[in-house]
Amino acid sequence: MANDRPLPGDMHPLTHEQEGRLLLWLRLTVAGHTIGTMFREARLRLGLVGLLSAIFWAALFGLFFEAFTFIDSMHAEVISLLFNSFFSALMVMMVFSTGILMYGGLYTSEEAKLLLTCPLRSAAIYGHKFQEAFWFSSWGFILLGSPMLIAYGLVRDAPWSYYAMLLPFMISFVVIPAALGSIICMLVVAGLPRLRIHAVTISITIVLLGAIWRVWSALNAAEAETLTTTWFEETLSQLTLTEQVFLPSWWLSSGLLDAALRGETADQTWASSLEAMKFLGLLVANALLANLLAGWVAQLTYRVGYSHLQSETPQRKRHARLWLDELLARSGSRWGGPLRLLLVKDLQIFRRDATQWSQFLIFFGLLALYFLNLRSFTYTYAYASIIGYLNLAVVGLILSTFTTRFVFPSISLEGRRFWILGLLPVHRDHIVWSKFLFAFCGGILPCLGLITLSDSMLGIPRQTLVIHLICCTMLCSGLSGIAVGLGARMPNLRESSPAKIAAGFGGTLSLVVSALFIIGVVLLVALPSHLDLMRRTLGVVPEKNLIGLVGSQTGIMLSLGLVVLLGLTATFVPLLLGIRAFRRFEP
Amino acid sequence: MIEFDHVTRHYGSKTAVEDFSLAIPRGELFALLGPNGAGKTTTIKMLVGLLRPSQGYVRVSGHDLVTDTRAAHLHLGYVPDEPCLYDKLTAREFLRFIANMYGIPRHLAEKRIEREIECFELHEFADDLAENYSLGMKQRLVFAAAFIHDPDVMVLDEPMVGLDPHSVRIVKDLLKARTAEGMTVFMSTHTLAMAEEMADRMGIMVRGHLRFLGTVDELREQMAIESTSLEHLYLELTSAKTILQENTLD
Repeated sequence: MANDRPLPGDMHPLTHEQEGRLLLWLRLTVAGHTIGTMFREARLRLGLVGLLSAIFWAALFGLFFEAFTFIDSMHAEVISLLFNSFFSALMVMMVFSTGILMYGGLYTSEEAKLLLTCPLRSAAIYGHKFQEAFWFSSWGFILLGSPMLIAYGLVRDAPWSYYAMLLPFMISFVVIPAALGSIICMLVVAGLPRLRIHAVTISITIVLLGAIWRVWSALNAAEAETLTTTWFEETLSQLTLTEQVFLPSWWLSSGLLDAALRGETADQTWASSLEAMKFLGLLVANALLANLLAGWVAQLTYRVGYSHLQSETPQRKRHARLWLDELLARSGSRWGGPLRLLLVKDLQIFRRDATQWSQFLIFFGLLALYFLNLRSFTYTYAYASIIGYLNLAVVGLILSTFTTRFVFPSISLEGRRFWILGLLPVHRDHIVWSKFLFAFCGGILPCLGLITLSDSMLGIPRQTLVIHLICCTMLCSGLSGIAVGLGARMPNLRESSPAKIAAGFGGTLSLVVSALFIIGVVLLVALPSHLDLMRRTLGVVPEKNLIGLVGSQTGIMLSLGLVVLLGLTATFVPLLLGIRAFRRFEP
Repeated sequence: MIEFDHVTRHYGSKTAVEDFSLAIPRGELFALLGPNGAGKTTTIKMLVGLLRPSQGYVRVSGHDLVTDTRAAHLHLGYVPDEPCLYDKLTAREFLRFIANMYGIPRHLAEKRIEREIECFELHEFADDLAENYSLGMKQRLVFAAAFIHDPDVMVLDEPMVGLDPHSVRIVKDLLKARTAEGMTVFMSTHTLAMAEEMADRMGIMVRGHLRFLGTVDELREQMAIESTSLEHLYLELTSAKTILQENTLD
């Protein structure tokens, strides 16, 4: 029965190599057009990303250079431990990140559906999607790892061969956890389709709890004063678990340490480089083997897994209205009825969109964890005051990423559904105001909570806490106003993806304006408040000059007034511009 | 050319398609009809290799879709209900990619690309990125890509969605011409008029079962209703009352 009809004479099934070359051509052509479009349409964003990446890289390089100089002079023996801890942690994170990315790429993407109906081998489709996941999960490592390793090489006066081996070391290392994550993903989907979410959730929880426990015990085990030699040694001794000879992170650490060694003679340097090359060979061989195994697993399980996954019928869940929705919808007088109903709608959408609240929870949760750990260190008043303002800026910056990513596109998304809202007896202004209120109310409570937590951990005086809370309120209001106002002023109705809307010109502008606003608010209030704190702590009588005036109670009140004025301007100017544009809006 | 051999497909505890058997010979245009949730999409997904049957076999040109997937795909063309394209490829590049995927030699591929651009009137936007296309333009490009390797079997899932009347005419004429040349077409549609006009035979699926297989005249005969429209017959056959009566008789 099989092969009863030959292929038409003009078709020749592709070989493995031809399939690989064709998919590589596809990737390069798509990348070429994407970069071309970005250069034509998103120069601001591209320039901004380039500039910020360069600043980030340079700052990291400076930080690592100073750190390695300090460690090299006092605690040189801990470098190996540091490298092992860093690379092993990175390895675990990459297993998960690549696994999750591969799940999206292989099983839920539209491209996978197209490629699976084409005459391609499963291994070729896997290879194609692996390149994508590999890039997304490893660029962070390159951005973070390269300044660290170059700084280490410079501090240790490493030979040229060290720098030549850096990239091969990094790439061959990254392939191993990435391939492992892909294999786990494919096996879980093919073997345990119904348990995949539980399997991934339980694994991530175990790893996270383990990591938190490890870091917590490492920080709390040290009884001596923080940031001393003993403290460092005791803390790092908790991390010896990562020094295991069978781990690729150990091969990488050992290889890099050997490569960076400059001997007293050329022969000694050559011997060290040769030793490093052995580790590089070990990594390359294992990377190739892992990739080969992953391709083999893909050939065996990909189509089966895809088919299994399609078998799952989504569980029907009845979404009931919460008491909060009822309270909002029915509370108060008849005034503001449509506004409250729009708020209830946005609240329901937010609650049911895991992307939004999970990211909100993760970022603010991590920030809370960091603030909770602040009490592990001791501070001088000056140090605590500076950290307090930096924390205020960090909370603002995190909030601005959310307002840009989720609030800015909301008007554009409503614009696409304008036939619903446009036909309702709702004033257009209400739609914009409801977005602003939703963003402001959603951001204010967690932000105020975080600032209170940070200040109490730092032991900051009550008056400064009040100042911080006022600034935080202004930040929330201004950031919401900027995102909603600019979103209404520059809607993008062509895109259905909020991520793409946020990544456009309007979104980038919103992010830049938000960052400038945060810097303005923090700088305005930080200087007088800090000077006043210093004066009161040190018991100095204020001088009768400009610095004395700035650092006085009058200066603080004046700066607070300016912050409120700036906050209200950032809130209402973009909002009014947005409302005016939205009234004229034609979908 | 197309064979469904006692095919059953489960979604967990639910059975989407049950004991489905069907053979469609070379040069036939077959239309699969049925209400939402009848199992049409599942049947099509099994035919293009996206889903594997829980039981039974699906074969295209003699190649089993599970054990010999790649060989079966070489004989298949597929137009999904929602066009899937690369936003950052032009129509010409996408057609070149598909032609290369089927291993068509370069000189011939270029001729075929021009042929399809001509046939589906893609000239105006052939060198624009697909992200700028309307739904109809995208659908025409997907058709062009599906025809580029002159497949023996064409699978169409709701093919006319998004096409303007002119494009619909082009597609209909092309399908008639190609079936006359020996291509087999398997089409799922809700457009009864189209099925009546185009199909050599039709199947009506209800709740995972093929409740009718044959021509419109045979359907009239089976339903014992004379001189009435396909719409009337279809609604009668798929109505809950009829299904209940048949189940009681079974």
